[in-house]
Amino acid sequence: MSETTQFRVMDFDCPTCANTVERALSGVDGVEAVEVHYSTGRVEIDYDDDVADPATFETTIENQGYTPQPA
Amino acid sequence: METQPIEQYVRKHRNALVTAASGILYGGGWTLGYLTTLNTASAAVLVTAAVVGGYDIARAAYYEVKSRTLGIKTLVTLAAVGAIAIGAYWEAAAVVFLFSLGSYLEGRTMRKTRNALQELLELAPDTAMVRRDGELVEVPAHEVAVGDVVVVKPGEKIPVDGDVVEGESAVNQAPVTGESAPVRKAPGDELYAGTINQDGALEVRTTGSGSDTTLQRIIERVEHAQEAQSPTESLIDRFAKYYTPGVIVLAVGAYAVTQNAILSLTLLVIGCPGALVIGPPVSIVSAIGNAARSGVLMKGGEHLERAGQIDLVAFDKTGTLTKGEATVADVEGFGTTADEALELAAIAEKKSEHHLADAIVEAARNPTSAATDGGTTTATAGETDANAAQTSVPDPEDFDVVPGKGVVAHYDGRELVVGNRALLDERDVDVPQAVAESVRAHEEYGDTAVHVVRDGTVVGVIAVRDELRAAAPAVIEDLQTAGIETMLLTGDNERTAAAVADEVGIDDFRAELLPADKQTAIEALQDDGHVVAMVGDGINDAPSLATADVGIAMGAAGTDTAIETADMALMADDLERIPYAVTLSKATRWNVIENVGLAVLTVTLLLAGVLTSYVTLALGMLVHEASVLAVILNGMRLLRFE
Repeated sequence: MSETTQFRVMDFDCPTCANTVERALSGVDGVEAVEVHYSTGRVEIDYDDDVADPATFETTIENQGYTPQPA
Repeated sequence: METQPIEQYVRKHRNALVTAASGILYGGGWTLGYLTTLNTASAAVLVTAAVVGGYDIARAAYYEVKSRTLGIKTLVTLAAVGAIAIGAYWEAAAVVFLFSLGSYLEGRTMRKTRNALQELLELAPDTAMVRRDGELVEVPAHEVAVGDVVVVKPGEKIPVDGDVVEGESAVNQAPVTGESAPVRKAPGDELYAGTINQDGALEVRTTGSGSDTTLQRIIERVEHAQEAQSPTESLIDRFAKYYTPGVIVLAVGAYAVTQNAILSLTLLVIGCPGALVIGPPVSIVSAIGNAARSGVLMKGGEHLERAGQIDLVAFDKTGTLTKGEATVADVEGFGTTADEALELAAIAEKKSEHHLADAIVEAARNPTSAATDGGTTTATAGETDANAAQTSVPDPEDFDVVPGKGVVAHYDGRELVVGNRALLDERDVDVPQAVAESVRAHEEYGDTAVHVVRDGTVVGVIAVRDELRAAAPAVIEDLQTAGIETMLLTGDNERTAAAVADEVGIDDFRAELLPADKQTAIEALQDDGHVVAMVGDGINDAPSLATADVGIAMGAAGTDTAIETADMALMADDLERIPYAVTLSKATRWNVIENVGLAVLTVTLLLAGVLTSYVTLALGMLVHEASVLAVILNGMRLLRFE
């Protein structure tokens, strides 16, 4: 089943960093679509919940040095 | 037992702590090297500074490489590692410290910009008092069902969207509409979640709660608007795609030619276009956030950038410059009394749905409220107390509308014609000199005059007035001061249009326009080289709003269609927001230009400085980070624009 989840990353410091996070998230298994916005810090992920574990999304964002918050 | 909070504190402030630690170590190492001859110790402290500050950066760089992107963290890591490898410890520590300080400050300031909107959301209360089975129950606001009656005490915030069913109060709607003056609410009136009930208790029948409220929808729209790329942003993004790899090629080439590792590393550091990519979005996010808090919805950077070029604002008349509430201002009888002329007109117009007809019928029903002196204070028929004695208006025997001209009806064996000069000419009705003069006088006053004809003889002239909004003249003046031309587009005849244009001080007008003509008028202005904004209600004027370079819809809070067609929407019917919205757009356009200019200048100077060896690794990083902070702070000025 396809699910959608949102996070807020309030500490993005540059637009390219947001792009990097977007690419990293698209690489996670089961992720269908990702939108990461530098301007608002909004992260929206469409994923297949049979495959992807939402917990890995947060780790992926943290690995890039940012703090995800629940939207 | 204290470990939990400390851990949380460290987690939350990790970036600040890491930056501070790296800074202290960097300062210590530098001092040690400068004041003493303990060079090895100094080098060790500096390397520690680089490692402490650089660990997180290197970790992020690892993930950057893993996801096959080339980010600034990879470049900084390369530069720091390279500097250590060639023994430039001071440079390595400086680069890492300056980068993490810069990132920390950039993240912090951007958080402020991003929070500007969240503050709006926090205005809606978390719980609501709901009347259920005669009892008041406190429930979470998002669980209130449509149809539930919510009780809101004076001083409380309204938790849901709904209609007043009981009570009267003044409500401060600023969070949704940006209006500073409270709005009087009585049974039947609409309320928005997040607005503040001031002086009376209200019972509200819920029409929307949780994420289905006007405030939520506005915020969602604003966020999407902030996220949409402006043309400048897209252009810069395309440029950045080539810039970074270009600089890397340059760095490699420079090393091949000069064998100067520091020079190549410095090029890497400035290889991230930094200020250039950050500047425009910060300006636009700040401007859209500021506008949202003032009740103006900007649909995105693209619209904002175009609005910055507006040099002419066209206004629709009815409901835009005027209140949109037609009232009878004066009735004159010819060969009969004014009262009789008005009654005859009312009978003829009774079945018509035209807004002039409503005003005439209303005035005939409430004879005391129609001013007959042609003075400045006028009829308030529409607002008259329903309890006042009403005169009943009989039905006509038959009735025909002549579109754009008036009506023809029969009553009590007589033919009644109510309409403009064109209708009278069409029916060969003779217009005496006195009547023509009366009509002319009213039109020169800005009123719309209609003739009342009984059996082929003019027996009266009725002047209908749609009062100007009090703010209109000041709004026009503000726009003119800002160097913007103003124009009135109206369906009224020339004389009425000229009078209205004169009264508000508008530069020019186009009269007798059908809705489609308004579009043509706007296209003609565009062909003359103007960047045209059109202000209207967003529903009747939708085509002209779409034709204009920038369509501005008024009073859009409740109407999604108006928001859809417009480039900018004023949540309230608040004309005074127009100069604000236009000057904010202009300020934003300049802000973007300033930021791009500063960024290009910085990159050019840095590149030139590095290639001529004036700019060292640490200095390069300092200037790079300083320029990024400068554009962010410059962009954030727009948050405080008034």
